[in-house]
Amino acid sequence: METRDLVLDGNAIGGLLLELFGTDLTAAPCTCDHCGAKEEMARLEVYVQCPGVVVRCRSCGSVVITVVRGPTRTWVDLRGTRGLEL
Amino acid sequence: MRTLELDAPGWAGHRAGQHLDVRLTAEDGYQAERSYSIASAPGDPLAITVERLEDGEVSPYLVDEAREGDRFEVRGPIGGYFVWDADEPEPVLLVGGGSGVVPLMAMARHRARQGGSATMKLVYSSRTWDDVIFRDELDVLARGGFEVVHTLTREQPPGWSGYARRIDRELLAEVAFPAAEEPRVYVCGSTRFVDAAADGLVELGYGPRSIRTERFGATG
Repeated sequence: METRDLVLDGNAIGGLLLELFGTDLTAAPCTCDHCGAKEEMARLEVYVQCPGVVVRCRSCGSVVITVVRGPTRTWVDLRGTRGLEL
Repeated sequence: MRTLELDAPGWAGHRAGQHLDVRLTAEDGYQAERSYSIASAPGDPLAITVERLEDGEVSPYLVDEAREGDRFEVRGPIGGYFVWDADEPEPVLLVGGGSGVVPLMAMARHRARQGGSATMKLVYSSRTWDDVIFRDELDVLARGGFEVVHTLTREQPPGWSGYARRIDRELLAEVAFPAAEEPRVYVCGSTRFVDAAADGLVELGYGPRSIRTERFGATG
């Protein structure tokens, strides 16, 4: 397997986001705070082979969301997201 | 491959192209969770078609061990982007690699069930003829505005006259609807498969935003 195969897309975390936010976010437009690109969540690059989940902008590669799950709570970092349309 | 019909109490129904998550919990509390595309058409009993992946944590159970009456957690339906509704009028181009055909099959079944008028074409890449999932059913569906184009990338049966190479710009140039027809496009498979197919379509003049993609991971 090559590194490229590890890059999934936002569809892969649809279930996780559904659980966290209570609604399906895969079609929700997400604006990158770094470059301003706006894409549906399903179109963003997702890395799940790390301690947690990292979502990156498909245009500039910046981290837009990270999610780290612990035994009793979950940490969501949205600093790289300028806006999320629900 | 194995298709499992799931009886999920309270299931609200699904759209063609959606997936669900299966979570297994071991006796010691260890949990493993994986996503599987829904293979059945909306309105039909809920079914997933699962490919057994070596070293997988969930798919070996689902394919080899799960028995009628077993219970496990299911979350879904999931997805509002990689979905197709039968009342969409545009031609539909489906591009699938390996088990990436599963959500596309739900769309083909949905069209057949609804008697949809949209023209639909599936371009489907498999390693060998024996690896073609839903082979017989696709044969039956392939009429009345639904067409299937197979390509076999590793081995072809004697007398094979179809495509025998990976899906790329050249292949798509021969079989895809012209971009001017503004088809809806759904591409599903491994990351490299999806990237190659989507890049090829963009080079042929398809708008990047008209191409809906779903990338499968290599963990099962």
